[in-house]
Amino acid sequence: MSSIWYYMERDMIKWLRGRVAVISLLIMPAAWLIFVGLALPVTFTGNYLDFITPGILVMTMLASSMAGGTLLIFDKILGFLNKFLALPSPRESILFGKILFITIRGVIQSTIILVVATLIGATILSLAQYGMIYLILVLFGLVISGIATTVALYVEDHDSYAAFNTLITMPLFFTSSALMPYSVMPPWLRAIASVNPLSFAIDAIRSVESGMVPFIQVGILAILCVVVLAVCMQVFRKMTV
Amino acid sequence: MNAIETHDLTRYYHSLCAVDHLSLSINNEIFGLLGPNGSGKTTTVLMLTTLLHPTEGTASVCGYDIAREGEKVRRQLSYVPQEMAVDIKMTGRENVLFFAHLYGIPRAKDKTDEVLAVMELTDRADDLIRTYSGGMLRRLELAQALVHDPAVLFLDEPTIGLDVAARKKIWEHIGALRKSGMTIFVTTHYMDEADLYCDRVGIISKGKVVALGQPSALKSELMTDIITAKVSGPVSIPTREGIFLVGQAADEITFTAENGREALPYLAQALSANGAIVHSLSLREPTLDDVFLHAVGNQDEPRNFDDHQFRTMLRRRK
Repeated sequence: MSSIWYYMERDMIKWLRGRVAVISLLIMPAAWLIFVGLALPVTFTGNYLDFITPGILVMTMLASSMAGGTLLIFDKILGFLNKFLALPSPRESILFGKILFITIRGVIQSTIILVVATLIGATILSLAQYGMIYLILVLFGLVISGIATTVALYVEDHDSYAAFNTLITMPLFFTSSALMPYSVMPPWLRAIASVNPLSFAIDAIRSVESGMVPFIQVGILAILCVVVLAVCMQVFRKMTV
Repeated sequence: MNAIETHDLTRYYHSLCAVDHLSLSINNEIFGLLGPNGSGKTTTVLMLTTLLHPTEGTASVCGYDIAREGEKVRRQLSYVPQEMAVDIKMTGRENVLFFAHLYGIPRAKDKTDEVLAVMELTDRADDLIRTYSGGMLRRLELAQALVHDPAVLFLDEPTIGLDVAARKKIWEHIGALRKSGMTIFVTTHYMDEADLYCDRVGIISKGKVVALGQPSALKSELMTDIITAKVSGPVSIPTREGIFLVGQAADEITFTAENGREALPYLAQALSANGAIVHSLSLREPTLDDVFLHAVGNQDEPRNFDDHQFRTMLRRRK
């Protein structure tokens, strides 16, 4: 299983050496937080920053996990995948290495958001609450990056994947409970938002913030995570015989 | 036990037959698989490196079946694909060390230093490889492949796109590896290189082996001289016993003749009698190029371009 680590390490080194990519990934969520969290004139809550932070956290996890699919596409196009598949180490570790790297990268970004949010006025939570937030984010990140890398296996070029990414990410974000609570949504949006998987993770983090322990939501996320990863592994094995 | 053994190895991409009942035995030698583009070279390598399942037939590497014992097969081999797949944001040492780790080499750092030295990359090992030349990148890929001491090495077009000096160097390294007991399976379409460096070559066309043997034996089998005529004007091909047309490209016509010296004046006369102007005639011994052209024939581009088939071929897997 050590090969998962080495595959992850490779992507990490490559990512950290691409300075523009690192800076943009760190600045993007902070910009959202500042411009949306501080600028929108909202009346339904006293601290909109506390309300919007879970939304931005989950959105960032979604965007960075979805973007992670391109890593596998490039490995496939540039011939790395064939080289790796011809190695004696277990082939699935290529997949899990990618998922691990994408999730770690998402966690790094989430940390930046939490730090920036606290600096500009979000309520400071307890350690246990932060722990639960990270747990939810990691489970959510594993699910999305698993799906993204598996789709990437099927897609033939980078452009198609970028189109798929846009098609999924934007609508999912705007129809979720990220920006406003269910109570102020128009009825049609409320219907969509309540079944949106993004809302599911966002609502779980909000219940953590309000002092509850969302056992059921975390449990469902954990089960979903195991199922998705098992399916991804099967698909990967089938695709790479 | 031979290092590589294939028996009726066949692969279809839908209705297109890429490799057609290939049977080969290869052991401790440099074996060159030669063939035009799209003749099934890469498909053969992909099957032998367990990246693609054969449709029919069997093959083994070091005694392990490629379809049933994939992991054991992969322990024995290294594969360097045609595309240069090395990480340009990493140093040469990091690139090799990464593979050493993936192979699970016990003393990965020492082994990495060793193969970098063998490939003459030690003094540039800590530079980012975006600064490397094409030849150095190829040697780096060889270093990655050698880090686990494979019994069989698969090289897909190892010298493509390199300058003459870099190619020579790569081949010298390959030759040294063979001397140390490794079996090397190379695909190439550089005939001159195959002639110089391969112990044995197989010429493949439309998925079938059409010639197999030592380059020198294949050349002497032709037992003919090659005549090339440069002509202009209306050309009609003279026919005479013992003279065969091999190919015609623009103003160049190539014949083989059992007795070249006698055929020369006849051809000059016959060509100009038909109204063509003969600019030059040359006579030479056969090369592997001629063996290749003789075995493969004049290659036509596929006539009806089948988009679906083409894309399936490009995808190569699934």
